[in-house]
Amino acid sequence: MVEKVKFRVFRYRPEDGGRGFYKEYEVPVKKGMTILDGLIYIKENIDPTLSVRYSCRMAICGSCGVRVNGVETLACHTQVLELRRRTIRVEPMRNYPLVKDLVTDMTPLFRKQKALMTWLIRRDTVEQENPTKQYLQSEEELERYLQFTYCIQCGLCYSACPVVSTFPDFYGPQPLMKAYRYYADSRDEGGEERVRLVDRFEGVWRCHFAGSCSAVCPKGVDPALAIQLLRRSALKG
Amino acid sequence: MLARGVSRSSVIQSLRVMLIPGRYGLERWSYVLQRVSGVVVSLYFIAHVLETGNFIGGITVWSVPEYSFAERAYEETVKLLKNPIFDVGLAVIGFLVGFHTINGIRLILAHFGFSLGRPKRPEPFTPPPSFSSKQRALFWLSISLAVFALLYTLDALTRVFRP
Repeated sequence: MVEKVKFRVFRYRPEDGGRGFYKEYEVPVKKGMTILDGLIYIKENIDPTLSVRYSCRMAICGSCGVRVNGVETLACHTQVLELRRRTIRVEPMRNYPLVKDLVTDMTPLFRKQKALMTWLIRRDTVEQENPTKQYLQSEEELERYLQFTYCIQCGLCYSACPVVSTFPDFYGPQPLMKAYRYYADSRDEGGEERVRLVDRFEGVWRCHFAGSCSAVCPKGVDPALAIQLLRRSALKG
Repeated sequence: MLARGVSRSSVIQSLRVMLIPGRYGLERWSYVLQRVSGVVVSLYFIAHVLETGNFIGGITVWSVPEYSFAERAYEETVKLLKNPIFDVGLAVIGFLVGFHTINGIRLILAHFGFSLGRPKRPEPFTPPPSFSSKQRALFWLSISLAVFALLYTLDALTRVFRP
C-alpha cells in the first residue's frame, strides 16, 4: 500500500548567503522505504537541486548521516513508516560547517582524530613496517577494544554532542573514543603520549556524560564509556 | 560581550542545544537538569548570602550596626519573603539541590569509571554499557531524593512561616 508522507527538508545554498530554509515535498511511501529512498525520490522526481551525500545505502559507509525529527540517524538505516509521522523533518548534522542542503563538511572530525594520533603506535617502526613475527592477543585483550572498532565514522555522535555545540574546541566523542580504542589495544605502545594529549580541558575533562553520542550510534558503539575509561586512565597517570 | 568569531545566533543555537534535551534519552535529561540546577543553586547561594548579610548591615558589615537595625532588617526580610512565590521558589531550590547532589555523585563515580559496564560487543536492542542499571538506579535515586526535598521544603515552609 502506498501512502503520502510530507518531507520537510532543510535547504541551504551557500551562494545565497544568510540562513537556510525548509522546503516541503510530498513523497509516496511504501513498506521498507528509507529516508534516503525518499530523498533520492525527491532529487529524481521533484527537485534535482537537492543535495544529499550517500554511498553504500546499507549502513556501512556512514555517508548519509542526517537529523530526522531532531535526532541524528543514518538516512539509509531509518524506515519512513517506522517513524509513524505524516510529516518528517530532515536536517543536516549539527556541529559541522554546512556545505549545501544536507551535506556537511566532516573536516573538524577528521582533524581532531589526527590530532589524537588515532592509529597504532609502535616504538620500533622498522618492525612495524616489516614484522618478523605475529603479535597475538588473548580473547580478553581483544574484548577491551573490539566494541570500539565497530565505528564507521559517520559522525552522528559528534553532531549529537551538546558539549561540542557549546564548546567547539572539545575533541568530541568519536575522536576520543578512537583514541581509547588504540590506548586499550595491547599491541599499542603510544599510551602515555595519547593520555597526555587527552588529559586537557578540551579533552576528556570537558565531557559531561550526556550520553547522546552512545544513544544515536547506529552501530551500538559506546563513545561515552570510552571517554570515561580514558578519563580514569588520565587520573591514574 | 562576545568573543571574536562568535555570532549571536550561534550563542542562541548553543543554548538551545544545551537546554533542550530533545529525544536523546534519560542521560541527556540528566545533563540538562544538572547544568540548570548548578546555575540556579549558585545564583540562589549569592542571593542568600546578600539577603542574610543585610541583617548585619550588608556591605557596611565592618562597622557593626546596632541590634535594633538587625532586628528591623530581619523582620523586613521575613515580610518580603512571606509570599507564595518565594515559597514555591524555595521548594524548587530544595528539589534542585537534592537532584544536583546525588546526580553529582553519580557523575563523579562515572568519571572514575565506576558503576559503568565493561566494553562488550554491540548487540541489537541492548543499551550501551555506559547506560548501566547502576547508573540508571542512581539517576532515579537522585530524582526521588529531589522530590522528597521538594515535599519536605513545602512541609517545613507551611510549619515555619504559617504558624
